This record gives sequence, structure tokens and C-alpha cells, in this order.
Amino acid sequence: MSTPRRNTPLKAAALVLALASLLVMAGIAPAFSMSGTTVTVSEESGGQPARITFNTVTGANERVSELDLTFPEGFELAKTRTDVVTLEGLKRTPVQPRIRVEGRRLTLGFTPPIAGDSTVRVQVWDVGLPTKGGTYRLAGEIRTDRGVEPVTGDLSFGFSTVSPSEALSRSLERNPLVKRWNSVQFLNFFLNPTMIVLAVPILFTGWITSVLLVVAAFPLAIFGGLGLAFMKMSRFPPLRWVASAYINVIRGTPLFLQIYIGFVGLPIAGVRAPWYVTGIIVLALNSSAYLAEIFRAGIQSIHKGQFEAASSLGMTYWQSMRFVIIPQTVKRVLPTMTSEFILLFKDTALLSAVGVFELMLYSNSLAVRGGNLTPFVVAAVYYLIITIPLINWVATLEAKLAVAEGGQAPAGVKPSLWDRLGMRRMLTPARELREER
Amino acid sequence: MDKPVIRIKQLRKAFGSLEVLKGVDMDVQKGEVVVILGPSGSGKSTMLRCVNRLEEPTSGEIWFEDVLVNSPKTDINEVREHVGMVFQSFNLFPHLTAKDNVMLAQRKVLKRSRAEAERTAEAQLEKVGLGDRMDYYPAQLSGGQQQRVAIARALAMDPHVMLFDEVTSALDPELVRGVLDVMKDLAQGGMTMLVVTHEMGFARDVATRAVFMDGGVIVEQGEPSAVFDNPRNERTKDFLGHIR
Repeated sequence: MSTPRRNTPLKAAALVLALASLLVMAGIAPAFSMSGTTVTVSEESGGQPARITFNTVTGANERVSELDLTFPEGFELAKTRTDVVTLEGLKRTPVQPRIRVEGRRLTLGFTPPIAGDSTVRVQVWDVGLPTKGGTYRLAGEIRTDRGVEPVTGDLSFGFSTVSPSEALSRSLERNPLVKRWNSVQFLNFFLNPTMIVLAVPILFTGWITSVLLVVAAFPLAIFGGLGLAFMKMSRFPPLRWVASAYINVIRGTPLFLQIYIGFVGLPIAGVRAPWYVTGIIVLALNSSAYLAEIFRAGIQSIHKGQFEAASSLGMTYWQSMRFVIIPQTVKRVLPTMTSEFILLFKDTALLSAVGVFELMLYSNSLAVRGGNLTPFVVAAVYYLIITIPLINWVATLEAKLAVAEGGQAPAGVKPSLWDRLGMRRMLTPARELREER
Repeated sequence: MDKPVIRIKQLRKAFGSLEVLKGVDMDVQKGEVVVILGPSGSGKSTMLRCVNRLEEPTSGEIWFEDVLVNSPKTDINEVREHVGMVFQSFNLFPHLTAKDNVMLAQRKVLKRSRAEAERTAEAQLEKVGLGDRMDYYPAQLSGGQQQRVAIARALAMDPHVMLFDEVTSALDPELVRGVLDVMKDLAQGGMTMLVVTHEMGFARDVATRAVFMDGGVIVEQGEPSAVFDNPRNERTKDFLGHIR
């Protein structure tokens, strides 16, 4: 916030004060009997019971014997209870009004009447809000010694429309089975059904953001990685040095630090870009260093004879790369590359630290707001939807590759679920596996 | 005498401080089948690999027709188009079928149409006796079959010279014959060939000249029967004695 803005309300207040003192000095009674009237609502969305708070300051020398509040259409007052206090500084004095509810009209009678210049707070509990959100306005009347007059001031308040998941969440909350489930502390904290239905649609947005970030960053990382890999294999030493330095620095520092530099350092240095551009670039730059090493190792693992055969047929360096070496490399690096994709996808969570609203930050803010860890469990499921099939696929690829490299034909053997879960590898000594091959 | 297809002058090649070729001179005329013999480490393969510059000569000259092969100004790929080479370890492209192996360089280097490349590939594979294995991947072929695909792949480029680098050494004995038969047919068809091999029978029957190398130089050369039956050099005698 800038300083000039902060000044404006101060100036306005000074002006009002000056005007008021002018009026008092002139001996004219003020035209309004109440001031500083506000109405607030305790919930952000409709369709649920809420507390509505009405604050006002009575006029000078004015004794209020009755207050009438009429709620807009759609509000339900049947279950309300109301309390009233007057405030003097920090001192609260409870008032015992006579309360009458007729439809949407709430009438409070005060004996003795409320004195002038009092700050009055009326809290109406458990008002049923309509499901549709928007700005609503209370209508009010007061009875004073002078007669009945309308309440002036700002009597409007608002809330948003209730979403289906919120509605479902609320109905679950009242369900006795759910109540029993939640009475177990572990289930309540980690698998609270009302939180699940609330979290699923909200986290979906974050999930899509995470997926889009990595889907945009990874192809860039592949190009970057290929470029770096070729630089590192170049005959021209400066290219090799640049690539090595880059790869070492990126792989030798935490992604977390790189994200901070991208999101905090660059704007300070005057480089401004939308968050998603910065996010995609930081992820791509990071992953390209890892992919470069994967590609280089893959290319160098291809037998030298392949390159010689291609050369002896008159193919250029790049033709040999493009049609002979790279196609063989792809098959060989695909499992490692997919693992790198999985890592990068999980690493999008680190972007939450700089306020990118992806899956992690959505779940975190929901968990904090709800005081419950269930959103994290939902987030975990969202991550796993992507990672488990890929992990599975990597295992299949690796098994196929082992068969192909072992020279057994035809290829295309599908490993059992047992193998794909890596159980055999875990339980069998490495020596035996080698012998089997 | 015609201008030689390949002329090697004072060729030297060193790997670091190890000098493998110590001044080799050789002319190969069109239609000649030159078999190069010698103990391992004698520099036979290195000499062959210098001809299409898979190894960079340290000094000397290698001429292919009118082109100085080891000149920096020479587009080596143009030379390689016309010099076919077959390796000990086959070096087929494992991700391509036999036919695609034979087609690839035709398409990319000679810019032949798919149809033409396919026709040539089929004809060459037919010729090496693999008409029924065109759609097999290298891993699905025996070593002998793979080596014959490699020969077809080199021949499809219509080379002026063929270099054979111990092409039967990695094969099981029963598979050697098929490959040698293909090479024999090729020789009889008039192909100019440089063959590094240990196959004495092939050398005796097919070669027009036998060259014996040892210690990075040519020790003895001449008619195969003359070299084999009446070797004049002690080292040749010693080598032939061991091999029999």
C-alpha cells in the first residue's frame, strides 16, 4: 500500500468532523438518529446457518425502546436466537430485550430504553441463509421518544453461492454415520468425508495447474537436455565447458533455491513475467540438466560400431544421429526419462513455497482453513493418479528393454504384476537375476 | 597400366606414441581382390580403416580415384558413398528390419525414392540369399545372416570398392561358408575388394593378390599361390606355419 492512499480516509474523516462540529455549533439537530451502522455475516457462502451481526451507534439524547430488523426474502429466522450488548470501550454490557419473530421480521423491545450515544451490537445466531449468493440488505426501524424512524447507514452484506460440493459436505456433516466415523480421531484427521467432498473439486483446479506446468515444462526440458548433451559431447572445448558448468550448477543446487531465484530474485532484478511462465521456465531449466546427462549417457552407450557403420555409408554426423543413434537411444533412455518426468511432476509442489496455486498450495490452504489433514490425503491421491501408471509403465519398459538387450526375440513380453511391482527384484538376490538373464 | 582405384603412399598412423602403420605403399587396380594377411596388431585393420578415414592418417597420402582422401578439403562423405565397408561385428542398425537397414543410406545419402530404394534393397538381399528374411530384425537373424545383410547394405550404395574387415572372425564356423560364398560371387562379378581375413582357403581361391603385413609395414606380396607356397620372408613363413 502506498502512503497517499492511506491519507485519503483520514482526510475524509477530518472533513466530516469539521462539518459535524459546524452543525453542532449552529445548533441544528442532526438529521440522522443512528450512525456507523454495519451488518456482517459469519459465513462466506449461502445455504447454511450463519450469524448476522448488526452494529450501530445510537444518536445523542436519543432513547431507543424498540428495534425492528426485517431480513430479505429467502432468509430463515425460525431457529434463531439473538443477543444484544452495548459496548463502552472494552466494556460489554448485556441487554435483555423482548424478542419477537414474525416471519422475516425480528422485533427487539428494550426496557429500559437504550441510552443515546451507545454502541449497540445485535447478534442474530443461526439465521438460515439462502443458497444463492449475492448482496443482501436488511431493513430496519427504530422507535425513539420522537417516534418511529428508519435505520440509516449501510445495512448491506453479502456472501457467495453455495457449491454442490459444499452442500454435500454440509449434509454429510449432519449424517449420523459420518459423525460416528469422525469420532475416531485418526479417521477424522486424515479421512474426514466432509473434507474429502470439499477438497476433491477445489484440489482438482490445483491438480490441473500442476499437470499443465509439467506438461509445458517437460518438452522444453527435452530440447534443452538434448542441446546440452550435444554441447557436452562437442569437439569444441568452450561448448563442453559451458554445458558442464551449467549441468553441475543446476544438479548441485536444490530446485527449491532455483525456484526462489526465479520468483524472488528475478523480479527484484527487474525481470517480470507471469507466475506460470517463470514456473515453467524454472522447471524446464532444472530438468534439462538432468535430462542432458541421461541423454549423453544414452547416446554414449550406443556401440561405436553403429556410428562407424552409418559413417561408412556416407551419412553425415547429424544424419547418423538422427536416423541411427537417436532412435536407439530413445528406447534405451525412455524408462529413465519417464522417471525424470515423475520427479519433475512431484517437484511442482515446491512452487507452492512462492505462492503458485498448484495442488500442494490448494491442499495446504484447505488443510489450514479446515484444521484437518484430509486435503493432504486427497492431494496424495491426485499425485498418484499420474505417478502410479507411469511407475508401472517404466517397469514394463525396463523389462522389455532387458529382453531386447539380452538379444532374445521376439520381444514384447509383458511382465507379471508381481514383477511390475518390483517384488521379485526386491526379494531375489541380484546374482540370481543376472544368471537368469 | 590403368590408373589405380586406390593408391596408398607412405601411410603412417600412430595412436599416441604407438606407431601402428610405419609407411605403407599400395596400389589397387580396378577389379583386383587384395587379401591382406598378418598377425594381430600388424596394422591390417588400421590400414583398411584409413582408406575411408574411419581412422585419421597421421601422415602419407590415400587416393581414391582422383580424390585425396585425407585432405581437409575433401568431403569424406562423398568418398564413403563409393567405398563400401563391412565390419567384423556386423554393425547392423538393430532398430530397423533387414530391408530398412539396406534402404536407409540409399534414401538419406543417395536421395533415392522409396520405391527405388526398396527395389534395390530387395534385389541385394535376394542376391545374398535372404529374400525370405527381409522383414526380420537383426536380433532375429543368425550372425551369418546379419553379416550378409551388412554386405547387401554396402552393395546397395553401388560402391566402386568394397572393404572387408575380418568379416568372418566373429561367426560360428558353420556360418562362415555362406558369407564367403557371397564374397566369392562378388569377386567373380568384378568388384574391387580389399579383404582383411584369416581365411586362407578364400585367399587362395579368390584373391588376385595376397599382401602380408607385419609390424606396420608390408612384408611381402604377390600371387596368392606364390606367397602361400613359396614365402620368401621369414616372418611370412613363420606366420603361415602357425596358421596351418
